[in-house]
Amino acid sequence: MSDILEKGISLRGVTKTYGSTVALAQLDLDLCPGEVLGVAGPNGAGKSTLVRMIAGEERPTLGELTFDGRPWSPSVEWQAVAVVHQEPQLFPNLTVAENVMVGREGTGSRRPRLGSADAAVMEALGIGHLKNKLLEDCSLATQQRTEIARAVARDSKVFLFDEPNSALTAEESDELFREIRKLAETGRIVVLVTHRLEDLVAHCNRVAVVRDGRVRTILEGDALTEEGLARQLVVDSTMTDAADSVAERKRDPDAPPVFTARGWTLPGVFAGIDLDGPPNEIIALMGVEGSGARELLRSLAGLDRCSGRLTIGSLSGMEAVDRYTAYVPATRQFSLYSNYSVGENLLVRLGRPEIAGMAFALKKRQMKTLAESAVQRFMVKTETTTQPIRSLSGGNQQKVAIAQALNCSPKLLLLEEPTRGVDIHSKSEIYRLLQTYVEEGNTVLMFCTEVLEIYEAADRVHVVSEGRLSPALSIADYDHVEQLATDITRLEGEQRSGAVAG
Amino acid sequence: MAPTETPQAAAQGPAFRAAGKATLDVALRVGGLFAAVIVVAIIFIIINPAFANPNLGVSVLRSMSSVAIMAMGLTLVIVVGEIDLSFGAMYGLAANSLAVMWIVGGLPVYFAIPAVLIIGALVGLFNGVLVTSIKIPSFIVTLGSYNLLYGLSLWVTNSGTFNPVYPPPGSTMDQGQLDFFIGLTQNVGPYRLSIEVFWMLGIAVVVGFLLHRTLFGFRLTAIGGNPTAGQLARLPVKRYKILAFVLCGVLASIAGMLDFSFIQTTQPDIGLSQTFPVFAAVIIGGASLSGGKGTIIGTLGGALLLAELQIGLALLSPGPHVQQIFLGAVTIGAVALDLFLTRVRKSRAA
Repeated sequence: MSDILEKGISLRGVTKTYGSTVALAQLDLDLCPGEVLGVAGPNGAGKSTLVRMIAGEERPTLGELTFDGRPWSPSVEWQAVAVVHQEPQLFPNLTVAENVMVGREGTGSRRPRLGSADAAVMEALGIGHLKNKLLEDCSLATQQRTEIARAVARDSKVFLFDEPNSALTAEESDELFREIRKLAETGRIVVLVTHRLEDLVAHCNRVAVVRDGRVRTILEGDALTEEGLARQLVVDSTMTDAADSVAERKRDPDAPPVFTARGWTLPGVFAGIDLDGPPNEIIALMGVEGSGARELLRSLAGLDRCSGRLTIGSLSGMEAVDRYTAYVPATRQFSLYSNYSVGENLLVRLGRPEIAGMAFALKKRQMKTLAESAVQRFMVKTETTTQPIRSLSGGNQQKVAIAQALNCSPKLLLLEEPTRGVDIHSKSEIYRLLQTYVEEGNTVLMFCTEVLEIYEAADRVHVVSEGRLSPALSIADYDHVEQLATDITRLEGEQRSGAVAG
Repeated sequence: MAPTETPQAAAQGPAFRAAGKATLDVALRVGGLFAAVIVVAIIFIIINPAFANPNLGVSVLRSMSSVAIMAMGLTLVIVVGEIDLSFGAMYGLAANSLAVMWIVGGLPVYFAIPAVLIIGALVGLFNGVLVTSIKIPSFIVTLGSYNLLYGLSLWVTNSGTFNPVYPPPGSTMDQGQLDFFIGLTQNVGPYRLSIEVFWMLGIAVVVGFLLHRTLFGFRLTAIGGNPTAGQLARLPVKRYKILAFVLCGVLASIAGMLDFSFIQTTQPDIGLSQTFPVFAAVIIGGASLSGGKGTIIGTLGGALLLAELQIGLALLSPGPHVQQIFLGAVTIGAVALDLFLTRVRKSRAA
């Protein structure tokens, strides 16, 4: 076990602790050139720490890293390692091309210009035509592809992909994985960290399963299957099968809908949308970036002024939006307050009379009770309600973000990619939270980019393309996720050609 | 980040330690600040034993009062993630417009004082609306209003100075009004403590309650921590930011009037030089310029430390340059020390 790899990177006995928390415990791992190594593990297992360690963003508390047999500190030779992060870490104030070039501007005093090699890389990733656009004006998918382009253009020896395709469509991820395999074939070290098991199985030579800060097992060859990985990931956990939780729910077909939108229009984005939200239902909106699906969801949260009629309960228009809807953005940075504790984050959307009384004075004792009951009710894994929000794992932060919205008891919950970058365990807990919530007579509307998520969580799905809504597909009609995926793709195609014809 | 699946009994320990951690951090921060105040006092007394004198303590408290009142207003603005450079000029405009309305215009002081408070609120409203509705960065808006308000001060006073005890020739002051106005800050008790100190303490209780114990303060801090999240969660971001600016303007005008009452003379440019000491007090008090962090007790401690240094050094009279150099060194030193101690605490928590 302790012999050092001749070529490639070896980690031996690597330990990393943060305070009393052990992120990595005596981890051994070999990264070989020419293959794609997958890393899987539940949230909080130490995956992100492992990536940061190899990227040189963290130093091991104990243990050592070697590169081609010699001791190696990635924080010194940082150019050797390129990381494509889960959340793009780029310069929003620069153009796409400048972001690709940054750090390699050369030593001249003139403003750097885009080289032909960089241009080719950008072209290959489909962002060539956007090169002069400011990054902050680009969609999340483009931003991530820019980060990938930058990593590719740097020609580094080690490539770390941390959930690189979580915001990409199926087509875009296929392109990305082609690039990833090409990198490995040219003798580079490629590491892929993702929650998507099908990607690990399809694109990796070996997959290391990390749990509790150690490599529990490495799957390769015939042993590398989705079922095998899923089993390894959930060993010891008491989670119930996600499919079980989508139990038969009582549904009254005559019950009045929670919300109705008629002729809902945002000029240039979507037009004439008619949508009903029956109680006890989770409705998914599926669509690629620019299809209008995301914008439709956000408009129901009152973020864009739309024309048309919207009624929720007895109220209509903005009044209904303000009173009865709650919106959870796709990135946690837009819903959590890093200066606040877990408890304060859970309560921050409340007001009078829940957490404040006479003269707007805070009811401190009641806040403590409310926070503690919210932690229980929303299954947030935290030691106390007073610890900083950043001390929680990503999956638990996501639970807090959703709980924050649910705490103000909306009738219509609007979610964007509710389980993006979340481990299987937290994912099934989040789905259970949503189930419980809709069973109380409410409606969830969520924007999704993954068919599997829709299959596991939703009751029906509308496909949005070119700003138009497809008829609903009922998830209960499908026995396999593959069939659903096929039908969704077909609907998308039909709508697009319909839009061209019309 | 590994899940700490410890048995119930073992989990009790870390759970207990982590409880109230944020509160503990603030307590340590403020405790350190007041320890520094005591250490500095002891050093001064060692240098000159005659400094161990209650009258000196009383004058430190008096001289920190107006700085502290302005600093509390600034704390609100900084907590919500904005900046105000105009409060010093507002302090000057408050004293000068009060002087003009009362001494020159003959408006009874009982009406002139509320009028000045309204001017302070309007200036805050002006700053707040430009920042939130027209979305001009607050640094620029308040840099502008700093100059604007100083210009107004020069204009209304016609660049003159005023003293209600010695009104301009031809006009006479009502003795009752004069007594009332000077009485606002008169010295009381055996140590001749100015009532201005009680104004400061009263305001500290009100603003401290507002920031730390009300929904307003809770949301203000949240908005300062993550304005985008506040907006998406439909917190009243605009309204709260405007309110913070309004309170800052009102508090600056209170400070200006109280100092006028104590000193009894105004010049067009008073208050301008207070801008940076007030900032220093807020920063030494532990507020973060990036928003979401700041306490009233910390701000008071910052103002106290600065006033102590200022008076101590003035009496040792090594020259005005030393005070200025100390002000700079203490500001940077306090923040550096704070960052250092935070890191120590974090690694100690291991």
